[in-house]
Amino acid sequence: MTSVTTDMAVATKDSPAVKREGRDRRRAFMLLAPGVVWMILFMVLPMLMVIYVSFWTQTTFAVEPTLTTASWERFMSSTTYISAIGTTLRIWVIVLLATLVVGYPVALFIGLFVKNRTVQTALLVACVIPFWTSFLIRVIAWRPMLGTEGAINLILMKLGIIDQPLTFLLFSEFSVLVGMTQIYCVFMVGPITFMIARIDESMIEAARDLGASFWTIFRRIVLPLSMPGVIVGAIFVSVMVLGEFATAASLSGRKVNLLGNIIVSQVGSLKWAFAAVAGVVLTVIITAVITLALRVVDLRKEM
Amino acid sequence: MNTGILKPTLAIYAAIFLLFLYGPLIILAILSFQSQGGGPQFPIQEWSTYWYRHLFGVTETSRVSQLPVGDALVRSLILAFMTTVVSTVLGTMSAEAFRTRFKGSGPVFYLIILGMMVPGVLVGLGMALLSNFAGIDRAWWGTAFVLHVVYTYPFAFLVMLAIFNRFDRSVEEASLSLGVSPAQTFRRVTFPILFPGVLSAMLFSFTLSYDEFSRTLFTVGRELTLPLAIYGTFSVEIYPNIFAFGVLTTLFSFTLLVVYGLLMKRFTSRRARFSGQEEAA
Repeated sequence: MTSVTTDMAVATKDSPAVKREGRDRRRAFMLLAPGVVWMILFMVLPMLMVIYVSFWTQTTFAVEPTLTTASWERFMSSTTYISAIGTTLRIWVIVLLATLVVGYPVALFIGLFVKNRTVQTALLVACVIPFWTSFLIRVIAWRPMLGTEGAINLILMKLGIIDQPLTFLLFSEFSVLVGMTQIYCVFMVGPITFMIARIDESMIEAARDLGASFWTIFRRIVLPLSMPGVIVGAIFVSVMVLGEFATAASLSGRKVNLLGNIIVSQVGSLKWAFAAVAGVVLTVIITAVITLALRVVDLRKEM
Repeated sequence: MNTGILKPTLAIYAAIFLLFLYGPLIILAILSFQSQGGGPQFPIQEWSTYWYRHLFGVTETSRVSQLPVGDALVRSLILAFMTTVVSTVLGTMSAEAFRTRFKGSGPVFYLIILGMMVPGVLVGLGMALLSNFAGIDRAWWGTAFVLHVVYTYPFAFLVMLAIFNRFDRSVEEASLSLGVSPAQTFRRVTFPILFPGVLSAMLFSFTLSYDEFSRTLFTVGRELTLPLAIYGTFSVEIYPNIFAFGVLTTLFSFTLLVVYGLLMKRFTSRRARFSGQEEAA
């Protein structure tokens, strides 16, 4: 019995198919090695370094590799830092919902109601084009829009709706939310449109022939089939909003402090260990969010 | 489908959405033509190209200092070019590897994708700490460059993966078994199939790197890239010269997009002509 199996193993080891498979695998390994090494050296290692340094000792202008939990204790006992976690989570939830609410009807229109392929592509391209322009310019463009002498106030006053300029529009949490919603909406519209456009037309026709109303069709067919798009969009928006600091820094007038802003200001004053602690907290939050989302959808299958 | 007023309602909504997307940029473009005395808001005192001239330093000295974009622009372009080359090569190699099934492809896939997911401020911080620890000076062509590749390589990889998924290897094998040399096969068969993907991967890498900001912030060292030079001016009072710069940089991105579109169109029409010839024969 044993001798037979060994014989067979020897036979298959020499077979051209197995040889070729081995060669292919070696080739795949060689092709992947540079990319994987690059990612480990310049992404994984830096992230591990953040965790490591969060336990270093912070002196006035430097960090020393003497391990301590002092930075963690200071972070956890500071109301500024803890409230930054709260602000980050609040802004994240609001922007996520806003991009979904603002973006879904647009995706529905482009994906379901526009039948002409060329028009469909043109509309999608029109949504994506702002993504190609400078991020910082898009952020700063909200200032002349929302300021007390900005376009919105000007128009509202001309129309006689208000007689005093609204001051809450700029340098407030509101401007940060509006700015982020505009900037990240594209990442919601794109994946959802893609999923809706993929829905088989005959399925919707069948439902209609059977007397289903539009609402039923939407609830029973379109919504469930667009869910992977929503999740993929939510992942994109989440990781970008959670790691944000530039929008808050330029539009909130220092009123909104996200974890990203804490990191930037701590690095600015050479408090590397505190920055690292904030970095680890942010990493934990983002990992939790992505893990949760990936439980719902397999990213690799959707892409 | 009894959609009734639903379709027009959604159409109007989509139009408002586009206005929401483009409105700020339109306002910005209008205000970039503000006159010298006007501020970064309405009303327009007088239409002029003053702030464009100011940007290029061809106006008489003014109280507003010139935007420090000259050297930064050159650095950003070189950096974007380096990033484009490296990430397109890495992305193509990795996607080619994924054509064979191998153990551990799942974790490797997510490792690569993580590069575009992980917030810039985190890897930036990590890289800065790492370079401090290792005693390496931070520089745009070093620490910032490797992070730019970490960010753009996943995009190139995904684009190429999509191309390879549609690439039937038997076409290549047929060419080889008909006695066509490997070099010819690559030029006539493999390259034409891959070219649109490579072009898209390059476009992604270039524009993402050119505009990259959060990864660069902690890793750039003393010499700034273009987005950082711009960001530096945000903390002080802003002037319409930033708006003028915004218009120009947006036009630059559009030019890239148009060049990409033209190359793509020319390429696909050539392929269409080629297949037309085959049909005629």
